[in-house]
Amino acid sequence: MSAVVAEPLAQYREAFEAQQTGQTFAEPQRTAAFARFAELGFPAPRDEAWKYTNLRRLQSRRFRSPARSTPAVELPAPLAPFRLPVVDGLPRWDLCAPGTAPGGLRLRSLEQTHRDGESLGALLRVPPGGGTEGFAALNAALSPDLLVVDVDAGAQPGPIEITVMATGDEPGMSHPRILVRSGAGSDARIIIRHASDSGTERLVNAFVEVEVGADATLHLYRLLAQGERCFHLERVEATVAQRGRFVMHDAQLGAGLGRIDLNVRLAAPGAAAELTGLFLADDARHFDTHVHVDHLAVGTRSLQDYRGIAAGRGRGVFNGKSVVHEGAQQSQARQTSRNLLLSASAEIDTKPELEIYADDVKCSHGATTGRLDPAALFYLRSRGLTASEARAALTRAFAGAVLSRMDHEPFATIVHDLLDGRLARLVEVTG
Amino acid sequence: MLKIRDLHAQIGARKILKGIDLEVGTGQVHAIMGPNGSGKSTLASVLAGRDGYEVTQGTVEYLGRDLLELEPEERARAGVFLAFQYPVEIPGVNNAYLLKAALNAVRKQRGESEVDAFEFLALVREKMKLMQMDESFLGRGVNEGFSGGEKKRNEILQMAVLEPRLALLDETDSGLDIDALRVVANGVNSLRSADRAIVMVTHYQRLLDYIEPDFVHVLSGGRILMSGDRTLALELERRGYDWVRQEAQVA
Repeated sequence: MSAVVAEPLAQYREAFEAQQTGQTFAEPQRTAAFARFAELGFPAPRDEAWKYTNLRRLQSRRFRSPARSTPAVELPAPLAPFRLPVVDGLPRWDLCAPGTAPGGLRLRSLEQTHRDGESLGALLRVPPGGGTEGFAALNAALSPDLLVVDVDAGAQPGPIEITVMATGDEPGMSHPRILVRSGAGSDARIIIRHASDSGTERLVNAFVEVEVGADATLHLYRLLAQGERCFHLERVEATVAQRGRFVMHDAQLGAGLGRIDLNVRLAAPGAAAELTGLFLADDARHFDTHVHVDHLAVGTRSLQDYRGIAAGRGRGVFNGKSVVHEGAQQSQARQTSRNLLLSASAEIDTKPELEIYADDVKCSHGATTGRLDPAALFYLRSRGLTASEARAALTRAFAGAVLSRMDHEPFATIVHDLLDGRLARLVEVTG
Repeated sequence: MLKIRDLHAQIGARKILKGIDLEVGTGQVHAIMGPNGSGKSTLASVLAGRDGYEVTQGTVEYLGRDLLELEPEERARAGVFLAFQYPVEIPGVNNAYLLKAALNAVRKQRGESEVDAFEFLALVREKMKLMQMDESFLGRGVNEGFSGGEKKRNEILQMAVLEPRLALLDETDSGLDIDALRVVANGVNSLRSADRAIVMVTHYQRLLDYIEPDFVHVLSGGRILMSGDRTLALELERRGYDWVRQEAQVA
């Protein structure tokens, strides 16, 4: 090994000491968070939660902290009528037209939310455990601001997009932090798109917290679309109140290494989560999805439906766990992980798990990893499609089952187009 | 149109075709009959280019070209169509998408322009009517959840849309009730024409009551043991395949 940084956490300590958030009120929380990160450090290679994802390469890199400035930035075309950019971790209020946010939606900074009387301990909390506590702590310490999105009770605002951009010509790190809360009986759609302005090496360490109110429905669309030299780590913590419904659509198509830890608590009777995702690990991309759903009350329901495609030297990891706790009777937990290998050197590791401590429940899980069906390939070719076209059609069909759930048209379209472009290139290479 | 000379083929080490000679002329309908395991379906698969079969000897000439050199899709584009014995279910690949892609692939080869959406729909509607298929099939996945009869109809629908020069029907009658058989036969008969050849592979002579062949061949043990006109099929029905084997031994 060459170029090992002498003290692996040094650069993060420097960044912490040099940061100027202008938020002295939050210093105790940030200091405590950094201490927690320093204590935990990076996950050890033998850490079970990091069994298939090695961070050695990430640890050997140096990243500059973004200056607290507001540079000009080129943004992709928006996926919703209202869009708020978060650039290098900082919400850019200057880049969205004031007063254009849909009615029933409130967007605030950490300072505003704190001034409105909310506890900093909660706003900058570090959820324990889960294998990513250290990164969550680092995020709390280094995020330059918190974006708080509140949906009013009973409101049905139009969809909004939060574009989380990583920018700059030098390798940099950013720690975006977002809190989404939906009030009782509301119905909202929020798109979080992660993008970058160039192929420069970066670390994005995101933290997203979601609270779905009673009888509310929240759709969260997540697109990972950064350049291929981006390391993306993300922790999503979601809590669903009674009869609330959390629907998440995840598309992991960008970044070179993407890890998401999605923890969902179905905390009250009738709470539901529908989690679907798709990744395309082509070239040397590596995607690692950890989903953990806790059924904590009677009549809770969860569905995990994830599909993965690995090609080239790509690698995909899926680890989904549903825990039905004692007393969570009449709950339902369904998990499926289906994976497609398009090359001999690609790899998929999938592990769906169920833990059940109640007796009156309906649970199922299954995982498959396979290759394209030779009989189907021949059938299509016998009708005149080239081998490449046949492979692309079958791969698209495989992804289609998840894509068809993405019911926000502009989001579905961009995922479809990104996927199509990559598949077309892929079959040229391997077909 | 099709000239098969001394064709030998095997799967792994198992020899299945052991010297097939067959000539099919334009406008003709040939029936290849034979007991199970005689090599009928292997012959159809080898002609369509399915993987896993090794041709160890012999030649196949199609419209003056070496058919065995072509990829499956090149054969399709050159006008060869195989109606599958077991059509494959492909969830997620739309029936209409496949029909259109297949039609455009063939048209491109013929030097014709791509069909537009209106032409395509008009053409497909007409052929679906012929095959007594509901238009809702277009929006479904290829053969997805189709009954046995629906799958076979879908095969002939594709054939009717693509208008191949050489149609190979592999056990198209298997699994069909009498009404479905009539519809399928009607579809095939509508495609009989002076510039198209049809080769049907079948176990039973029942199909031949509906699609009258010009020639009947009996395949057994990887060879064509006997050829004749359609009265041969009736004779077979009466006397069974053992009779052919005995006759062949005597000869």
